[in-house]
Amino acid sequence: MATQAQAASASGRTERRKIRQGGFFNQTLPFWLLLPTLLVLAAIQFYPGFYSIWLSLQERQGAVWNFVGLRNFQRIFDSAIFRESLGHTVVFLVGYVAVTMVASLIIALLLNRTLKLSGVYISLIFIPWVIADVIAGLVFGLLVVPDYGLLSPILSNPALFPPNGLSIPSDPAPRPWISGFPFPPAPAMYYLILATAWRALPFVTLLILAALKTVPQEIIESARIDGASSLQALRFITLPLILPTLVVALFNLTLGGMNGIGLVFTLTRGGPGTATEVLSFLLYTIGFDRLEFGRAAALSVFIAIINLVLIVLTLRVARTEERVH
Amino acid sequence: MQASLPSPRHYAARKRLQPWLTNGAMIIIVAVLMLPIALTLATSFKRERDVLRKPPVLFPCDGPDGQFRLSECRFDVEGYERVIAPRPDPKAPLGFSLTGRMFSTYVPNTLLYAFASSGLVFVLSGFAGYAFSRYRFRGRRELMIAILAITGIPLLTNLLALYQMAVDLRKAGIPGYDERMFIIAVYVGFQLPFSVWIVKSFFDTIPRELEEAAFIDGCTPIGAMWRIVVPLAMPGLLAAFLLCFVNVWNEFIAGYLLITKRDLRTVMFGMYDFLSQNIINYQVVAAACVLIAAPVVILFIFTRKTFFRAMTEGAIKG
Repeated sequence: MATQAQAASASGRTERRKIRQGGFFNQTLPFWLLLPTLLVLAAIQFYPGFYSIWLSLQERQGAVWNFVGLRNFQRIFDSAIFRESLGHTVVFLVGYVAVTMVASLIIALLLNRTLKLSGVYISLIFIPWVIADVIAGLVFGLLVVPDYGLLSPILSNPALFPPNGLSIPSDPAPRPWISGFPFPPAPAMYYLILATAWRALPFVTLLILAALKTVPQEIIESARIDGASSLQALRFITLPLILPTLVVALFNLTLGGMNGIGLVFTLTRGGPGTATEVLSFLLYTIGFDRLEFGRAAALSVFIAIINLVLIVLTLRVARTEERVH
Repeated sequence: MQASLPSPRHYAARKRLQPWLTNGAMIIIVAVLMLPIALTLATSFKRERDVLRKPPVLFPCDGPDGQFRLSECRFDVEGYERVIAPRPDPKAPLGFSLTGRMFSTYVPNTLLYAFASSGLVFVLSGFAGYAFSRYRFRGRRELMIAILAITGIPLLTNLLALYQMAVDLRKAGIPGYDERMFIIAVYVGFQLPFSVWIVKSFFDTIPRELEEAAFIDGCTPIGAMWRIVVPLAMPGLLAAFLLCFVNVWNEFIAGYLLITKRDLRTVMFGMYDFLSQNIINYQVVAAACVLIAAPVVILFIFTRKTFFRAMTEGAIKG
């Protein structure tokens, strides 16, 4: 048997050598297979990436671009609107990531208990993920239109929301606890967080569920027999085992939240006032409403650096090396 | 006696009760998550005067005396009619033509962009995934990590540069150039990295022995890829296609900023535009939401297994 297998692999090797010797095209086949992909990525990902950096160092005066060094960065970091927007982004990200992670973990733990209907539940839960962010914004917006929205009778009830009831599209933020940091936020921010979490939740639930399936049941059962409560088993066995997935989900969510813009566009448009103007929407406002390209490019380079940090951290945690082979 | 351990009877009771509790909790969670969709559906079938009532009613079924009667229900497709705007046209195949901008312009455009970019992604990620899965060459590791890193890069930060590129390309006056080509290239560029990873991980699951057998029978590498690996990896390639299709259909900001001609704009621009045009016609906005979300939701429901597998195999995960 062993000799047969050896003979088979040896003949395989000679065959492979024959292929490698055959024509120039076959010898360099991986290069030709990769070429179109690399060309597209060079044109649509790398070139615009470097172009953004170049733009961030320029200022347009009339029809010509002048090199201004780091002045765009200085101007954007010094502006009050940027600092305010940074605060909104932090509030938004912390709220949205926390809501999504906790809700996804609970749902995944429930779904992991091999129910007959698990497939039905996960398919239904996944529908919001397929719905476009623009449409999610419109849908959530219609629900809270003052007077006419279907949730407005609940929101405008003074008994539930003293003293005058709540109007999500127009109520301003209360006085901040720490001056300069927008917390507590306007009601619109809570609503934006809920709507964004609604769309992000399915994917994270699926990731966590896939990780939970890899946790061996025997370990949990033996811990339970030794007297551990189910909460203890969760805290000391399950959570440590799925920790890498939780961290990857956390970075993924932060990345998505940093760069999501469609929902802000149709749900709040940054309002009321600037109460929900997160960095991604600020980038649009500066670049395409005020047409200050240099300053917007500086902001996009700033966001890109945060993205890169998140990506590198994700790759570290996800043990990329193993998956490359 | 070990008093601290739960008695067998207690344990059995819990075993019997637990599925009920879990199912109950899941049903409540699913109901809460589906609520926005259900309320939008309800709004989309109302008449204008029922939409503009204070306080709002969920079911417009109350008679003049305020009593709820099923026979009084006033459900209507007025919202849908105003989105589609059908007009009798003897030349059209169904006897009427769709005159609403959404269906006469934006939907066909988006279908074109989605099919073109998904088709290109299908082919290119098949090639690249095969090369990464089957060949060992210099720089392979670095290239793969670079492509994995790009999957995380969102469109947003490249948007200004892409906008400027679109302006430059329009000015350059390249013969035969069309805005549609650029937007399709952008969509391909942003969907490709993740697809390459999905397809590569599907190719990895196919044993090499199958191809080696084909080589012995005199098959060329391209022939082996086409006849053996591609058919076996079809679920992965289809997943890449579907994921790209849904993402392009749902994409807003690139379509909004990079396309200048109104006749070439996309569905999500149409949705955004709708909001400003129908500021108080909530039933029209809701009907448009239903009509535009329905195709991808239905597509997803029929192909959800492919989606789930692709996402758990291709996602950056721990």
